[in-house]
Amino acid sequence: MRKTFQVTIPLLLLMWVSPFPVHAQEKISVAVAANYIAAFQEIATDFEEKNGVKVEATFASTGSLYNQIKNGAPYDVFLAADEERPDLLQKEGWTDGTIIYARGKVILWSADQEFCKAATWRDALKNSRIKKIAIANPKTAPYGAASMVAVQKAGLEKSLQDKMVIAQTIAQSFQYASTQSVDAGFCALSAMSSPQGKEGCFYPVEEAPDIVQAACVAKNAKNKINAELFAAYLLCEDAAKIRKKYGYR
Amino acid sequence: MDFLALYVTLKLALVATAVLMVLAAPVAYFMAFSRFRGKSFVEALIYLPMALPPTVIGFYLIMLMGPKGFVGRVWETLTGGSLLFTFLGITIASIIYSIPFAVQPMKAAFQKIDPRLLDAASILGLSKMNAFLRVIIPNSLAGIAAAAVLVFLHSIGAFGVLLMVGGSIPGETRVISIAIYEAVETMNYSAAALMALSFIPVSFLFLLLVNKLNEGVRA
Repeated sequence: MRKTFQVTIPLLLLMWVSPFPVHAQEKISVAVAANYIAAFQEIATDFEEKNGVKVEATFASTGSLYNQIKNGAPYDVFLAADEERPDLLQKEGWTDGTIIYARGKVILWSADQEFCKAATWRDALKNSRIKKIAIANPKTAPYGAASMVAVQKAGLEKSLQDKMVIAQTIAQSFQYASTQSVDAGFCALSAMSSPQGKEGCFYPVEEAPDIVQAACVAKNAKNKINAELFAAYLLCEDAAKIRKKYGYR
Repeated sequence: MDFLALYVTLKLALVATAVLMVLAAPVAYFMAFSRFRGKSFVEALIYLPMALPPTVIGFYLIMLMGPKGFVGRVWETLTGGSLLFTFLGITIASIIYSIPFAVQPMKAAFQKIDPRLLDAASILGLSKMNAFLRVIIPNSLAGIAAAAVLVFLHSIGAFGVLLMVGGSIPGETRVISIAIYEAVETMNYSAAALMALSFIPVSFLFLLLVNKLNEGVRA
């Protein structure tokens, strides 16, 4: 027992006083909506190289990140997949203002090339071979909400009710479709830029409204100058180029 | 391989195990040797985290530690910060989540001690406190170690509670189990496979150790 203590306690102390090396560098903490993961990783790397500020990202659905922020999560910047949550945060005094950093589109993606041979996505879904369709949770994922609007506009709500599989984020919806756990899934157009995305096929879903994605910087950000710098970078030409590559406008 | 997540995981498991073992030892002692009305109710309450879904524990911890919760408010007036989404927050969550795994094996180990030893201690004038420290603890080291290893493993494997209470903040609350989940979600399968694979030998070896320690108790 004493020996265990002799080993454990110095080890604990060591871990406490010597934080992981990354802490030495300047850094910002960014909460990112799941649809933007791929584009964000490239944008963050580019930003890190140009400014020498480390970007630490947390990915989840917009709704759950919003909830985390409401509960005091210490993010410096929030990249949402809608305008609604950043606007709410402004009303609640978390941020001074919001910017629009990307516009996205909803697609219906399938790993099965046969699926895309119908005239429209509506016809494709009417095929009796289609047993399961993934959709992101409309309550927490803006892409899920937009997908749901499209389903309702097309009048398919009732017929699809029992076939829908609810994913936590739009990224998870694509993961379900890509692993063929489901026959097709409502995804973000950005999914098509990934290697897995190119292996399948998709329909554009015109009925779904464009996803206007807004970002905001925390009023009390620990590293406000760098956080503001990052927000400004999101709007610059370099970031726009990367964004376009991933299917955003 | 997300080494930062690995570091957070090990740090979390070590801290949670160390703190919980110290806190749980007196509770296990109490459960092993005292008799009182309603003991089975208290015991069931202590083991409750084992039977509850992690989401239930997570929900109550958010209610308690959040900005509107009692603990969260006290913490905020004391430190000005939030308890959720911090390392301290997930450490508290891990400790609560693992209570049964510390208390149960220690209680069993304490009960296996020859009662004549305790009688002798009491006849020789040792106080209860001294008997606990100098007779019970040294005679149940294997059981205590087994409990510690179980708590350590349980903390390493925790997922749902930590995701709810801590989110996934790199270097702070993103542990390996969450890193694996995110790697799978973003279809980064090679990273997920590497991290997942690293779990198996570690968990296996530690479980072997628990078995060896328990055999020691029985012998």
